[in-house]
Amino acid sequence: MSWRRFLRRRKWDEERARELEAYLQAETEENIARGLSAEEAHRLAHVKLGNTRRIREEIYEMNSIGWLETLWQDVHYGLRMLRKNPGFTIVAVLTLALGIGANTAIFSVVDALLLKPLRYTNSSALVIVWGRLPAHDLWRNVVSPPDFFDWQAQNRVFSGMAAFVDQPLNLTGAGEPEQVSVEQTSPNFFSVLGVKPILGRAFADDADQAGKSDVAVLSYGMWKSKFGGDADIVDKKIELNGKAETVIGVTGPDFDWYIKDFSFTHRRPQLWMPLVFPPAAHDRSKTGRYLRVVARLKPGVTLPQAQSQMSVVAAGLAAQHPDYDKGWDANVVSLRDQLSGALRPALLILLGAVGLVLLIACANLSSLLLARAAGRRREIAIRVALGAGRRRIARQLLTESILLGVIGGTLGAVAAMWATRALVHAGSTNLPDAGAIGIDWRVLAFAAGVTVLAGLAAGCLPSLISSHGAIATALPEGGRNSSAGRRGNAARSALVVMEIGMALVLLTGSALLTQSFYRLMAVNPGFRVAHLLTFRVALPDSKYATAISRGAFFNGLLGRIRQLPGVSEASADSAPPFGGVGSATGFVIVGEPPVPVSQQHGTDVRVVEPNYFRTMGIPLRSGRLFTEREFRAETHVVIVNQLLVNKYFHGANPLGQRLIIDMKDTNVPCEIVGVVGDVREDGLNENVQPVAYWPFPELPYSAMAIVVRTAGEPLALMPSIRAAVRDLDKDQPIAEVNSMEQLVAKSVADSRFTMVLLAAFAALALVLACIGIYGVMAYSVSQRTHEIGIRMALGAQQSDVLRLVLVQGTRLALAGVGIGIIAALALTRLMASLLYQVSATDPVTFGAVVLLLVAVALAACYIPARRAMRVDPMVALRYE
Amino acid sequence: MPKRGAAALQGEVLQGTLDLLILQTLALGTAHGHTIAHAIEHRSEEVLQVEHGSLYPALHRLEDRGWIASFWGTSENNRKARYYRLTPAGRKHLVAQTGRWEELVRAVNLVLGRAAGPAAE
Repeated sequence: MSWRRFLRRRKWDEERARELEAYLQAETEENIARGLSAEEAHRLAHVKLGNTRRIREEIYEMNSIGWLETLWQDVHYGLRMLRKNPGFTIVAVLTLALGIGANTAIFSVVDALLLKPLRYTNSSALVIVWGRLPAHDLWRNVVSPPDFFDWQAQNRVFSGMAAFVDQPLNLTGAGEPEQVSVEQTSPNFFSVLGVKPILGRAFADDADQAGKSDVAVLSYGMWKSKFGGDADIVDKKIELNGKAETVIGVTGPDFDWYIKDFSFTHRRPQLWMPLVFPPAAHDRSKTGRYLRVVARLKPGVTLPQAQSQMSVVAAGLAAQHPDYDKGWDANVVSLRDQLSGALRPALLILLGAVGLVLLIACANLSSLLLARAAGRRREIAIRVALGAGRRRIARQLLTESILLGVIGGTLGAVAAMWATRALVHAGSTNLPDAGAIGIDWRVLAFAAGVTVLAGLAAGCLPSLISSHGAIATALPEGGRNSSAGRRGNAARSALVVMEIGMALVLLTGSALLTQSFYRLMAVNPGFRVAHLLTFRVALPDSKYATAISRGAFFNGLLGRIRQLPGVSEASADSAPPFGGVGSATGFVIVGEPPVPVSQQHGTDVRVVEPNYFRTMGIPLRSGRLFTEREFRAETHVVIVNQLLVNKYFHGANPLGQRLIIDMKDTNVPCEIVGVVGDVREDGLNENVQPVAYWPFPELPYSAMAIVVRTAGEPLALMPSIRAAVRDLDKDQPIAEVNSMEQLVAKSVADSRFTMVLLAAFAALALVLACIGIYGVMAYSVSQRTHEIGIRMALGAQQSDVLRLVLVQGTRLALAGVGIGIIAALALTRLMASLLYQVSATDPVTFGAVVLLLVAVALAACYIPARRAMRVDPMVALRYE
Repeated sequence: MPKRGAAALQGEVLQGTLDLLILQTLALGTAHGHTIAHAIEHRSEEVLQVEHGSLYPALHRLEDRGWIASFWGTSENNRKARYYRLTPAGRKHLVAQTGRWEELVRAVNLVLGRAAGPAAE
């Protein structure tokens, strides 16, 4: 049987017919020659040949592909049936489209973030290597240069290791002065990543030597926006912090590199420059930890192998340099995990939730199909009588439901395209590599698979039940209480009970997550969030080399800002809350035995300007705030937060005690003059850290964040503030302008996103379950009209009938609730990692959801119950 | 007319044998369906009665496998008829099948206790 023959079956058949004709003529003539009459000859010829029709059929069938033939018939027939019942078809298709569309949209996000390889390189071999200090609960920390050099030299598992650190620099001489995020890296950075620039070249191997390091590679976005996509940009010069740098290359548009953890600029890198280490960088006593490290695994090396080898190296360093490295380990994290690991639990939960929604939709569809199949019993019985086997009928019904699935799935895929874009837009600030999220072949394949599965799932029960019932003849009238009918009803009830159970699981999960989110939002951050504006100013060292010049700038700026109308307070801080990473170091309390750096107490260090605590609304717990004098010269005083006192002073009065904080080359004891309240620096659900605050002259940073308490809308003041900055220094840009409310909202954006989506799915599930209950109850009432009529004729009141219906509905609801509770108790613990201060089996939440579901179920029974009440016994009794 | 007591050839059991007979008939020259049917009957001295209806599917199958080829020609009484001829591949298949048939006959005769081959007639 060849394909050519298959496609030209009809022509072959015609030829065959002619051939058989020719045979008949020849045989007839032969018979006539033997002496028979014409008629007799003709008849005998036919007898000899047999049934021509059958011969032709046999050959035709030899030319066809059996299953394709029947499939085409089934599809054709199914389409006709669907067109005949437009109402049913529309409802079914929409239900499926919703379910499949939602699944596809969520999967596209999951695929892009968790499954697909990164667009710009082979990311499976790339890892980020952090430092780890388990004793202090620190799992990812930046690395010191001496450690990095030793790691590079001593590791055996990486084919390349590169360090990178970002900082803000001022780009001048190209339009408006702009503060850009510059990432300084080892010369082999781009080759470790496996990335080639689209213009020019990457760093040479000696780019970190003095004299060869004034080069820069631009990001694609920066090249397009700031330099207009200039094709001759290579070898042109740009000015960063007053120094001239030569552009040597531009990266491609797909290069979406951004490691959020420990980024000092909190922005995507816009430029890359070689990292030049000062001589002090090789001395552990003179340098701190500030590097991040990316490495490429050697072929054949797995992540666990790399981790154990690096731990060995780190242990070796800890033994060699106990003063600085004791207790420190290495933490090797895959790049994928680094970028999307935080989102994995939420995404998987969303995927599970949307899968449940689809199951509920399929159950609804199954129920609908069952009801419709009951109405088609005559048609099915006739087909059985004409010789269709049970499998053929089952296949026919299954084809119809898959057909519905395909139509619904196509609509759903289209809807998913729109939904995915909406999802990305809504979550764009926090989604890494958002450009990669979209509908591609992988997602479409997933949608196709889900479609077929949904069609099968929805159709298997109806097709099994209907075809089974068909064997028992249903041609005689009054088949209402036939076994098929009863089995169908039982199936529909079972489906509804399952739907209610699944809806309960979703509603419970959503309720828990919503509660958790609101508890999170209710956390007191430790300062007043509303009406607070923040932005960053990074002064170039070339212009502001001395502490005095920096102090003068910041004082002058703050003075001007305080004069602006609408400003009630203003101050500055080296690292404000929700502003990302700040400095941390070790300290000793004067009077304690001296210990090496690795053994010291840990604290964050902040440098503040006058009025900081008042501007932020941080309460003073004991002692006093800094005086004016302490902001004019170094006076060696420090204010600490409550947690530092609790952790390291154990109830003793800290005021007057002195700390030696290891931040500078020479460290002088500083007296504690005050204790302030704790502030949640890193996030509402992150732990508070010990903090030591210094007045500005103690450690005159060149980059500070300005915080402004406004009377009205914070961002409305920006134009006047920018003018104030320009007045002081026309070449000084500012960056990271945010209202504190924005920053807090951004910090919980992930949780909010997940909560909203889960709530939407739960609501959808509730609606679908409601429809399911209504459908089953309405059908049941219509089936029992006869029975209700009899009851009423025998004296039942309307209220009795109402109770009859409601009891049936309640029984279904309670059964579903029972199953749902068991399932929910088992499943909600999977989302425990997302919950804040809410137990995964919180009884109050469970109870509330159960009540809601039962109430909704009863409401869904209401209309069918009313219809039952209005049954006219006389009509019902006559109704067959 | 079929001889009394003659077995009719039908069913898949002897399908391979029918193929063999058709191929052998065509080895002697081209023929169309009607001729082939009668030729088998005549040559077997009316013992093998081919159900002519099953002849045509068999011809179709053989053509599908490439052992015979068909073309339209004029029959003896000047009518258009579908002629079949043996292809080189078919000729090879015929030789192989004939050999296998003879082996089968010899084996059955051995079991039945008769002497092997037509030489023992």
